[in-house]
Amino acid sequence: MAFAAGIMSLLLWFVELPVVYLLDNPDLAEKVKWIPFVHGYVYAFYVLAAIHFTARARFTIKRMVFFILAGTLPIASFVAERRVMKEFPLSK
Amino acid sequence: MMNPNNKSKFPKLGFILVVAILAGVFVRLGIWQLDRATELKELQKPYIEQPVVALSDVAKPASNLPDSAINRIVTFSGQYVAQFDAPGQKDKNGAVGKWLVGLLEVNGGGAILVVRSLNDEEIPKGEVFVQGRLMVRQFEDRAAKSQDQLSRLDPSLLVSTYDMPVYDGYVVAQSESVNGKPLELKRVEVDPVKPKVPGYYWQHISYVVIWWLMALVVVFLPFYSRRREESNK
Repeated sequence: MAFAAGIMSLLLWFVELPVVYLLDNPDLAEKVKWIPFVHGYVYAFYVLAAIHFTARARFTIKRMVFFILAGTLPIASFVAERRVMKEFPLSK
Repeated sequence: MMNPNNKSKFPKLGFILVVAILAGVFVRLGIWQLDRATELKELQKPYIEQPVVALSDVAKPASNLPDSAINRIVTFSGQYVAQFDAPGQKDKNGAVGKWLVGLLEVNGGGAILVVRSLNDEEIPKGEVFVQGRLMVRQFEDRAAKSQDQLSRLDPSLLVSTYDMPVYDGYVVAQSESVNGKPLELKRVEVDPVKPKVPGYYWQHISYVVIWWLMALVVVFLPFYSRRREESNK
């Protein structure tokens, strides 16, 4: 989920927002209109996944809030995911 | 003497207050997004035309155009005192061209910009009766401004040149008549103005979901914290 939320944040910040607010191109804006609402729903699932994971891992509230907010910034969710993977490596 | 139990009650009360305020803010933000989604849906409905009214009944010179006056079909009469070209204007079919715009001194006071035609025409002499749609003024330039040319349809461009109070906005004429005789001109066709709400319906709904989810998270966190502390003990 962190990966999906990160990708959608990157698309939102660096594709959709510049196209809508910097370029005067309605056709292009029409083509990227799916990004904000897919991002919205992906982020909602990310929040639920973050709460589920951090609660099971018994993280502090501060770390839980960081995880939830990490989904709003393009790179932060990747960082959060990497840290978690280091801390809790997948058992083979 | 101060009861030692009171000491711990205040931080607890403060904490509950902060949680309540934060949850309230998130719920309110969700409602705001829900309103925007509803507004977007409303805007997709066709515009319902209202009865024709006199210009002076819905607007006053030298004051902002009320929201209720925008898009109304209005009638007024007076004399044209100037005429301009307004290049780069887009009609309802998306055709970009030069519009002929007159400044009409309205009987009863004030002046108003009137989009008259797509073609060059002479200024009619005498009293002219106009019926047309009242539009909100333009904010972005479409061309350079000169003595005979308007960069946008905005009466504020004329305030320093003409010593009379002007009506806010402009009228796209549907008909004009002089002494009861209609003027046959090639008229500009425009759609009623639609206020713009940025974004899309399902996008706003997704934000409603997120804000309300955040409100639930804020309420959930203290319980999580308490459970965590208890299990640590």
